[in-house]
Amino acid sequence: MTAGDLCYLTISEAAAGLRRKEFSPVELTKACLARIEAIDGKLHSFITPTTDYALEQAREAEKELHSGKDRGPLHGIPIALKDLYATKGIRTTCHSAVFEHWIPDDDATAVAKLQGAGTILLGKLGMHEFAFGGPSVDAPFPAVRNPWNTAHIPGGSSSGSGAALAAGLCYGALGSDTGGSIRTPSSHCGIVGIKPTYGRVSRSGVVPLSWSLDHAGPMARSVEDCAILLQAIAGHDPKDTASANVTVPNFRAGLKDGIKGLRIGVPRADWFDENKGTDPETEAVFNAVLKTLESLGAVILEIDGKAFSIARKANQTILVCEAYAYHEKTYQETPMKFGTSVRRRMLEGAFLSAADYITAQRARSVLNEQIRANFSRVDVFATPSAPRPPEAFESMDPNDQNLRPNFTNPFNLTGLPAISVPCGFTSGNRPSGL
Amino acid sequence: MAGELTLEDLSKRAARAGLKLAEDELQKLLPGVNRALRQAAELRQLITDCTEPASAFSALEVDKVSPP
Repeated sequence: MTAGDLCYLTISEAAAGLRRKEFSPVELTKACLARIEAIDGKLHSFITPTTDYALEQAREAEKELHSGKDRGPLHGIPIALKDLYATKGIRTTCHSAVFEHWIPDDDATAVAKLQGAGTILLGKLGMHEFAFGGPSVDAPFPAVRNPWNTAHIPGGSSSGSGAALAAGLCYGALGSDTGGSIRTPSSHCGIVGIKPTYGRVSRSGVVPLSWSLDHAGPMARSVEDCAILLQAIAGHDPKDTASANVTVPNFRAGLKDGIKGLRIGVPRADWFDENKGTDPETEAVFNAVLKTLESLGAVILEIDGKAFSIARKANQTILVCEAYAYHEKTYQETPMKFGTSVRRRMLEGAFLSAADYITAQRARSVLNEQIRANFSRVDVFATPSAPRPPEAFESMDPNDQNLRPNFTNPFNLTGLPAISVPCGFTSGNRPSGL
Repeated sequence: MAGELTLEDLSKRAARAGLKLAEDELQKLLPGVNRALRQAAELRQLITDCTEPASAFSALEVDKVSPP
């Protein structure tokens, strides 16, 4: 097996290979580090590689596995973290000049759980500044590039997580999702990312963007790998007020059950054609996938998309208000430390009133009920993950993004779990997600 | 539909919010703020007097403590 082959194993394949002693945690780690060294200069997916720490952890994992101490499927697996997860003793920047030199005293709960599961930390990943705005042109770190075509955006805000996985630089990563920040880069980079149910994964130690919309979750190169990562980080955490104190199921249990009889709702009417609409190529890929799902036994039902469309607007109103509330003091003291894109979006929150914010939270109640009502007819909803393929940096207008349909926001508003899986390509070899 | 803010309105709101923003920055902000206000007005159409916000409040729980 070449070093390149080694880097593109799934977590479950790597875990099996480790136990068959085909390779060691140190070899996996060295293969990733060599690949980061070789190609990340073009991608900028890592802000802070933790090379020495990773090798130290890899040697420890190797020793433990050889001595029979097996912590489970993530033991000895190299992973990386979006740079808004607090990491004890390791710089955590949020891709911003504001936090450029912040070194946390503690790990985020999800990070501590991954450490306990025996993962190896390769480093901290680039993102959109504070998980907000667009690709940063004026942040202290360069914008992350899409491995499929470095002239194109990788999607955000968990851009480094998506790019690093697609480029074979790590086996799993954590992202965060307030309006689509796990699912969009997963779609644009051709990988898998799940935004779990609100409350399923602790947000403690994850720098907030919007408390009532933020979700922490995994990204990987297969659905099974996401399930393995989610299993490790899920569970009640008293340090997170929104954490749900409920039993965590076995996420891998139903993966091979098939979809015969599954009722899939497509909320197309009044949503896909909103404002500038959905890219025709993206919709064609999506429609082809629906046919495949139908051929596998699923039942496709067209449903009204109006509530989903309005949910996007409620999500955006809540998001900018909560984001400004979090950053207000820092902004007033050091406004120029924020990048242009974040500053402009966040300040929208400064000009909305308390009544506007509460109105959006009241509308959220109504919209949640309207969306819930669909579950009498369908089991799941399906949409493209993003309305358009990844755009070129040159032609992208961050302000224009807010005017388009957004297929991810409504699931932050409802707190429902939502996954993006690769489902094909549009022209120019650009990945598309379902 | 909410009335559109003018540059002057935005400047006054900025001052009230304790923000010092140059006129060119206010100019760039204006379309986004007006869009955000239009969205808030649209959301207002959905709710009735009975609609409560989707945020839960839990009463404070206090463990019984023995008197000193």
